[in-house]
Amino acid sequence: MSKINPEFTNELKKFGAVNINACYNCGNCTAVCSLSTEDNSFPRMMLRASVLGLDTKIETSLDPWLCYYCGECSETCPREANPGELMMTLRRWLTAKYDWTGLSGLLYTSIPALIIGFILVAIAIIGVGYTMQFNVESIMEFGHDFEMFAIMGVFSLILVPNIIRMFWFTVLKEKIKVPLISYIKGVWDLILHMFTQKNALTCENNTFRWFEHFLIVIGYLLLLFTTVFLNWFETENTFVIWLGYIVGAIIFVFTFDFILSRIKKSKELSKFSHPSDWLFVIWLFLMGLSAFIVRIFIDTDLIDSNIWLYFVHLIILAQWALLIVPFGKWTHFLYRSFAMYFKKLEEDSK
Amino acid sequence: MAENTNNNEYDVLVIGGGIAGEEAALNLANQNFKVILVEKDLSLGGKMIHLSKVFPTLDCAACITTPKVSETARHPNIHIFTYSEIENIEKKSEREFNATLIEKPTYVEDNCTGCQLCEEKCPVIVKDQYQWDLVGRKAIYIPFSIANPRIAAIDIDNCILCGACEKVCPADCIDFTQIEKKSQIKVKAVIIATGYNLFDAKIIKRYNVGTVKNVITSMQMERQLVPTRPFNNVLRPSDGKMPDNIAYVLCVGSRDETVGNPICSQVCCMYSTKQAQLIMGALPMADVTIYYINIRAFGKGFCEFYQQAKGMGVEFVKGKVARIEQGEDENVILRYEDIIKGTVQEAEHDLVVLSVGILPNTDYTGFFKNGGVEQDKFNYVKQTDELLSPALTSINGVFAAGTSTGPMDIPDTILSAGAASSETASYLRKAK
Repeated sequence: MSKINPEFTNELKKFGAVNINACYNCGNCTAVCSLSTEDNSFPRMMLRASVLGLDTKIETSLDPWLCYYCGECSETCPREANPGELMMTLRRWLTAKYDWTGLSGLLYTSIPALIIGFILVAIAIIGVGYTMQFNVESIMEFGHDFEMFAIMGVFSLILVPNIIRMFWFTVLKEKIKVPLISYIKGVWDLILHMFTQKNALTCENNTFRWFEHFLIVIGYLLLLFTTVFLNWFETENTFVIWLGYIVGAIIFVFTFDFILSRIKKSKELSKFSHPSDWLFVIWLFLMGLSAFIVRIFIDTDLIDSNIWLYFVHLIILAQWALLIVPFGKWTHFLYRSFAMYFKKLEEDSK
Repeated sequence: MAENTNNNEYDVLVIGGGIAGEEAALNLANQNFKVILVEKDLSLGGKMIHLSKVFPTLDCAACITTPKVSETARHPNIHIFTYSEIENIEKKSEREFNATLIEKPTYVEDNCTGCQLCEEKCPVIVKDQYQWDLVGRKAIYIPFSIANPRIAAIDIDNCILCGACEKVCPADCIDFTQIEKKSQIKVKAVIIATGYNLFDAKIIKRYNVGTVKNVITSMQMERQLVPTRPFNNVLRPSDGKMPDNIAYVLCVGSRDETVGNPICSQVCCMYSTKQAQLIMGALPMADVTIYYINIRAFGKGFCEFYQQAKGMGVEFVKGKVARIEQGEDENVILRYEDIIKGTVQEAEHDLVVLSVGILPNTDYTGFFKNGGVEQDKFNYVKQTDELLSPALTSINGVFAAGTSTGPMDIPDTILSAGAASSETASYLRKAK
């Protein structure tokens, strides 16, 4: 027996759902989807559950993470009920559900909270700079330490507990009995999906988008690696310097294209943009761009007189690391690949 | 046909010679109003004359409609112009309309006897639009066997001007010098009975119409089930095999925002159910499956008709077909979600029929000179008083009948034409 939450569709509207009540359950979306299979048929069931207010059914489902939003279901929906955007909405909603702090839900649904959060982070960074009397050397050192601590902190305090919560909702609570060996066997798939998102290639006419997306993921991870572990801003190694330039450029060039398609609404998936979508692409773009410029200033010895530039970069970085990564769209990267992993466990248990 | 003596003056102009136009014209002519009926096609009868049976009674459509066609054609108060179009209509004042009529040349005089000798001699073969492209016809042709008037016409776009027909014609009625004739007429009222168009399924890209073999439209299946059918049997087009596993895809172009037609066509569920029953008679061994979103069997006897089809073994599957692809042996693969099971399925059939929907025929929008007839949001003629006087339009003295106002079945069309003719009669009598 399921309990019905009559407020559920209103809640989903805040997370970005558009016109879902128009659905007349023809199943076109499910049948047109190239990722949908006889064993995993979506998105209509998710739409049905959303309209009926069956939030517990959605909470325990992994289906929203199986969708890569090619947009074909929305394009061909005879009722224009936007099933693709609903799947995106459910991913946001699930992100909020998995998050034990509750901040994710707040930042997804309230623009004032979002703005306050971003301002607070900026003030904190400026405050730290003030205590260091805006000394370039020590601020850059702080920046580097901050990156380390932010990554470790966010991971251990937010993301890992959240993934355990996701595991609880979707596997343990569902009383799925998984043989131990499956956990080990699935790890390779987990890593593969995380870094390649290879299922997105199954979507029709999606190869270029997948490639762009793949480059951004790789570029982002490399930038993280070069700045944090190879200490890009302070290194003298030419190879590392050039590597940083290239990955920085990759990020801001391709994210610029993503931003452009959201402005032009040229593709089905860019037709509706939730604030969290804008933040994600814009901040990623700014991060790539500002890192790139900072390094140019370092190489041209202009950074000492332009410490504000590093500050801008550091603020963007801090907002990204403390708000977007743990509570925003970035988490898709983890949840999606873990969803594939859990799905595999589920299949093995059958 | 009554000779036109009164300087091209008539009481009523009826535009469209389908079942609605005929019914309205007859009702008025029987009350001694002088009617001019303009039909753009070569024959009267509209769409209905091409149908096999009507639902839910399974009466022969041609047997019902041809007496009406003949009665219209022979009525002394009705003057018929086939293969003619309205160029424009101007309302001068109440009960005073001026219209310009274009008679297109058929290159055959009216004294044609319909002997078909010319058809035998004509060397040009093109697709027969009256058999929905299932078979061919000649460039000079009698439109179809029960056409009215049953006289030949030359399809000048495809004619090679060899003159073979002219030589063989015993009535000497072929005249290549015919030209378009324009004439001015005066009428007191206008009835729009321009009917509907069928949805062109090529618009839905994922159905691959034209590239996947053995996908036909419901009208092509209808033609295979009529007494005057081209193959005298139901055959699939690619190899002439008698199909034994036929699928119907409902809501093709209806209830679909993506093609701009969000409304239900009202007849597809029932005509598909009817065809399924007729197929069971024509091909007793065949399986018939109907894929639907919702079965709308709302009229008198419709639900019983649907139950009867189920009882006969027609399978009804709830789920809209999303993709049509070619399978092995020129069979067709349908991909859909079985809504009852909630899972994606693929099914193979050897013949697939697309139950195409009804779209508005918007020809009427070009008729009126100053300020056309208003359209409703679905592009049908706007019924300004839909509940109380459904035949009224935005122009006083212009009435609408049948499917020009929206999708409807044959009995409703007759009722609508009756309403339009009554409204017209009372409008005309007010003057007297």
